[in-house]
Amino acid sequence: MSKPMIVWAAVYVAAVYSPTIQSQSVGHGADFSGVWSQDRGAQPERFRNYAFTEELPPMTEWAQERFDQSKPTFGPRNVPVLETNDPVYECFPPGTPRVYLHPFPMEIVQTSDRVLMVFEYDHLIRQIYIDGRGHRTDLAPMWMGDSTGHWEGDVLVVETVNFNDKTWTDRRGVPHSDQLRVIERIRRISDENLQIDITIEDPVAFTEPWVGTRIYRAVDWDVEEFICMDNVNFEAFEREVLNYDGGVN
Amino acid sequence: MNGKAANIVLLVSGVLALSVDALAHHGAAAYNTQATVEVAGKVTQFEFVNPHVLIYMSVTGEDGSTTEWSGEITSPNRLARSERSTVRWSKDLLQIGDEIVLIGNPARNGAPSLRLLEVVDSDGRGLLGSDYWSERR
Repeated sequence: MSKPMIVWAAVYVAAVYSPTIQSQSVGHGADFSGVWSQDRGAQPERFRNYAFTEELPPMTEWAQERFDQSKPTFGPRNVPVLETNDPVYECFPPGTPRVYLHPFPMEIVQTSDRVLMVFEYDHLIRQIYIDGRGHRTDLAPMWMGDSTGHWEGDVLVVETVNFNDKTWTDRRGVPHSDQLRVIERIRRISDENLQIDITIEDPVAFTEPWVGTRIYRAVDWDVEEFICMDNVNFEAFEREVLNYDGGVN
Repeated sequence: MNGKAANIVLLVSGVLALSVDALAHHGAAAYNTQATVEVAGKVTQFEFVNPHVLIYMSVTGEDGSTTEWSGEITSPNRLARSERSTVRWSKDLLQIGDEIVLIGNPARNGAPSLRLLEVVDSDGRGLLGSDYWSERR
């Protein structure tokens, strides 16, 4: 069977057997459904855990000031967990696209009107509307933003706007404003791999668009529970370590 | 647990073959990632809880005094998937009283705590499957 036939056969099977899309036609150009994990081998180890690119984006004065005040736990300026001001350690959502930097899998579920990203990290769900609607104008700025998408052939193009300015763009403390606009181009590059090309625009924070890529690989895992508030135990542990006063130094 | 290794704290300089970022989801500023320490003891507590698995153990010194050491590893979800380990971890993998060796980066301030790179069980098995331990054997 040719590859397109296999894909459409899989879509047909999913349409027949999945209760979520049983009665809906499948109006999309590719099938991304399944559980995906970061393909670590495809990303440079030096920074893959905390940034989309090794170089910092070209920041405006506004952003540089905030960057200088940020105290990340990753990157060249890393501090211990108890000294960080990274909002994630207060259990706020990491935002988009930073959520891709956290090393946990995500499941993609597709319906006729949405592509859902179910992240293991703090059980976050992104809903990408692909039914032609525009962005919401009635809601307050959001942590993960408001995502709409459309198909360009077998590429899902996603635009996310309407962010608050409370999250960091990556895990090394690069800020963004509420003018952040994230464009993602998501496609399968093989049977096993998904590529997400990300363009980050923010005229308040960056002097030019910032581009990065994440590669995911298909895995046969389940997305498990991961609740940020369990950090309470870990913070107690960190406090014990940092407040230790019987050391030699 | 091999008795010869008991109670020995061994400092090894150099960088491990095992990637440090593979084992934790936060940065390592509290730890000296250029040094490695091995500590043998008995498990007193095993917390298989997100975001980080925590292991506590009691270590008896040459003078008979005991010190509680602790170590942190990545999330239980990742260990249960064998994502960063060769052994499939579970909440019952370690029991109180088990004799183990913890290998990891020491805390910069001298606290008896490690950023774990390997956990060796009483059979001498490296539960994280690090190159460091397999090459040592």
